[in-house]
Amino acid sequence: MFIQVAELRKSYPSGNTRTDVLKGISMSLEQGEIGVILGPSGSGKSTLLHILGGLDGGDSGEVRVDGVDISRLHDQQLAGYRRERIGYVFQFYNLIPNLTVGENVEVATYISKSPLALDRVLEAVGLLDKKNRFPTELSGGEQQRVAIARAVVKNPRLLLCDEPTGALDSATSRDILELLQHVNRTYGTTILIITHNTAISRMAHRVFKMKDGAILEQAVNETVISAERMEWE
Amino acid sequence: MGMILDRRIKRTFAANKAPYISSFILIMASCLLFTTFLLLTGNMKALSDSFKHDYALEDAHFTTDKKLDGLSEWESAYRIRIEESAYFDEEIQHGPVLRVFAESESLNRYAVREGRRLSGGDIVINPTFAKANQIRIGDSIRIKDVSFKVSGLISLPNYIYPLKKESDLLIDENNFGFAVIGKEDYARFPSGTHDYSVRGAGSESETDRNLAHFKSALKDRNIAILQWTDVADNPRVTRVAAEIAGIETVGSIIPIAILLLTSVLTGTVLWRMLQREAGMMGTLYAIGYTKSELTRHYLKYPILLSLSASVIGTLLGMAALRPMLVTMTANYNMPLDGMNYKVSILLASVMMPLILLTATGYTVVRRGLKSTPVELIRGRSGTRRIGWLERRVKLGSLGFATKFKVREQFRSIPRSLFLLLGVALATTLLLFGFTIQSSLDSWMRADSVYKYKHEYIFNSFQQGTAPGDPFSLASFKLKQGEGKSLTVFGINPDTKSIYLEDGKGHAFHYDGVIATKPLANRLRLKPGDSIELEGKTDSRTYTVTVDRIADSYNGEFIYMPLAEFNDMLHYPKDSYLGIWSKDHLDIPEEKLFSALSIEDVQKAYNSFSRRLQVVLGTTSAIAFLIGLTVIFVVTSLIMEENKGTISMMKVLGYNKKEVNRLILNSSAYLVAFGFLLGIPLLFVSLSAMFRLIAQSTDFNMQVQINFVYLLLGFVIVYVMYGSTKLLSRRKIKKIPLGEALKPGLE
Repeated sequence: MFIQVAELRKSYPSGNTRTDVLKGISMSLEQGEIGVILGPSGSGKSTLLHILGGLDGGDSGEVRVDGVDISRLHDQQLAGYRRERIGYVFQFYNLIPNLTVGENVEVATYISKSPLALDRVLEAVGLLDKKNRFPTELSGGEQQRVAIARAVVKNPRLLLCDEPTGALDSATSRDILELLQHVNRTYGTTILIITHNTAISRMAHRVFKMKDGAILEQAVNETVISAERMEWE
Repeated sequence: MGMILDRRIKRTFAANKAPYISSFILIMASCLLFTTFLLLTGNMKALSDSFKHDYALEDAHFTTDKKLDGLSEWESAYRIRIEESAYFDEEIQHGPVLRVFAESESLNRYAVREGRRLSGGDIVINPTFAKANQIRIGDSIRIKDVSFKVSGLISLPNYIYPLKKESDLLIDENNFGFAVIGKEDYARFPSGTHDYSVRGAGSESETDRNLAHFKSALKDRNIAILQWTDVADNPRVTRVAAEIAGIETVGSIIPIAILLLTSVLTGTVLWRMLQREAGMMGTLYAIGYTKSELTRHYLKYPILLSLSASVIGTLLGMAALRPMLVTMTANYNMPLDGMNYKVSILLASVMMPLILLTATGYTVVRRGLKSTPVELIRGRSGTRRIGWLERRVKLGSLGFATKFKVREQFRSIPRSLFLLLGVALATTLLLFGFTIQSSLDSWMRADSVYKYKHEYIFNSFQQGTAPGDPFSLASFKLKQGEGKSLTVFGINPDTKSIYLEDGKGHAFHYDGVIATKPLANRLRLKPGDSIELEGKTDSRTYTVTVDRIADSYNGEFIYMPLAEFNDMLHYPKDSYLGIWSKDHLDIPEEKLFSALSIEDVQKAYNSFSRRLQVVLGTTSAIAFLIGLTVIFVVTSLIMEENKGTISMMKVLGYNKKEVNRLILNSSAYLVAFGFLLGIPLLFVSLSAMFRLIAQSTDFNMQVQINFVYLLLGFVIVYVMYGSTKLLSRRKIKKIPLGEALKPGLE
């Protein structure tokens, strides 16, 4: 298994008590698959994503990604893990406003040992002609494409997407999901998406439903459909 | 409405300490300097004017070759007051020289600073000399084997700046002072010199006319005036005004420069706050607050900041006045009869920052509130637009790190401008002292004109074989321009006592008329040009044709062959007034007007240099404070603006060093540019200052920027930068990864 999570627990202090955010989560995902975690706000899906991405640590349990037990890594090693293996796509893009499209993608190539060719990635996301534009000159969908290019250009083993279509309309969202699927097929990148939107689960190989810090249901999708055929709910 | 919202102000100040405390310090420093300097110079001017008036400062002093008899007749004939101002120089304990005057009755009366007035057997001396030579009231001093008791410490209006020789640049309280003894006591010491002080009774022009007639009358009676100095040309009196004017200029320019810098800073900080709070402002609009209510609220930040800092700075300035005045009046030998806190200066000190910062604040706030409530709520005004410059700059071929750093500077032009000007100002101040020191050093070293060790000036014409190298000298007034004084020397054509050369390093022959470079520059002289001079001793006009220009900066002088000089002034043939010598000569004191050794000049320079170190240290400390504050604030602003970027970099896997390198090093180019900009600024300001000094003295210095000092300055600026980076690293470390996951673009 590419991702193997066993009995992961996480709690945060809340006044004099502690709130359990993850209550013994176990899950797995094969290499090259797309996984979708569905759940309402407060279900713990973002915390799980942060732990998988090496941004946060669990209190107990085991988290293996690509053969590495990341729960045992210290800060410096976690930075190396994020640098070499993980790509992030955020809901609000998090682009650097005073860098051009090309330069925003360069932010990632600058620290990467073997990045993909920048222009080819920009071409793949359909923004080569806007390489010298600034983020404020782009639409929301285009900005998210830049964010995806920035994540993909490092050629990561795992792409973590936090509500990637949360701030976009349905047509643009479909474009973005198509692009993610294209990345998955072209580069063999394993992708894990967290979302409220159940429609997205139809393009995933595995679907995890979370509520109140626990996985209620996980299923293998035998009939993965192309993002362009998805019906928006 | 204001009440509730205004509760935030204290909290906002507390949450963003760095920029607000820095603004506070800068405004306070600016007001402190402004108040102190301007109150000080105002008080000094008033003290100096009243001292000169109350103690009957002379209009001129002069030396004749014969005694003037029947002074009262001269006085009534020319409506002037004349008083003998006899003095002699006495070495005290085989070391420092004390100039001893006879007590005067009507002109140049002494003012008692401490102790009591003279009675028989007493002596009163100047306080700085007493302090430097550990002489106290009640001590005894031996003058020409007669013991005198020190009864008091005094000032003289004609020795406010106690130079030994009028042509001296620097005072040296360790080696020169003045004293007064009673007339009867003085009569015991015979003197061959005939010195007089004179003061006109009428208006300035009337006095000028009367004095010119008086000089002619003396000449008609065959009495030669060997030396004549108008009070306007007497550096012992005028230097104080020149230096006060210098302090006044510096005292106005530096605080205003700091204030402008602070306005840019406050404007930037306020703009950042408005961007951050766009959503909140939109919400308040939606609730029903008006634009003017919000404007009033946000204006309270610059108003509170500038008012509190300027009031404290002004109060500190007022508190600093007394110790400063005590020091200054001690240096300048003036009595401290009172202090005046001029209300207009205090008001200006408080109001200037208030007006400037409020105006800046108003401009920024009105711009920030231009967007509609919906735009503000959506945070559109918080999403900054890309500026014209950012859009135009092409960085395609540069490496990513360089591109990132350059873009960071274009991101906020006011912020970059603040850094650039701040570092330039700090550099100018930092190098100011260093450069004055190196210019002086170089002036002293290059002062290779004088090859003699001793100079003796007689109190009457000498003839026959000289015991050294004979020369003569006379004071003139330039007929051109503002009538500046200059000295013309008559020198032996074969002299080896001075060395003058052309711009190519070729030594001159002294068989023609030579003008020094500063004089040639002032009058735009070239060889063959003529200049008109008015004799100080006879008020007659002379025309001199310059043959050569000497590449020498020792002062504004003309040198001509002694025979030609005597002929021009109708002085006795083959006569001379002075001797230059390599060895000490035993010339009877009663024959001498003055004696000087080059060693004394060196001593005065060393003493001045030590005092300069203190000024240099203070200026450097202020420069360091400004530089550090500016760099620290800019670094804090950069980190504040880049919180999201820093966090995102951490998420992407940047390690600490990489983040620090990109964010903290982004200002390195600008710091270097600021330093480079500071150098021409320094050059221009120092050149202007030296020109001002040259106008009122014979002291012509060239700005010499020493490479070692430049390097030292650069190192100091980078130490400021480095220490700020060290401080900021901790802050970068504290920025959480989660910052990148928050909604929003910036």
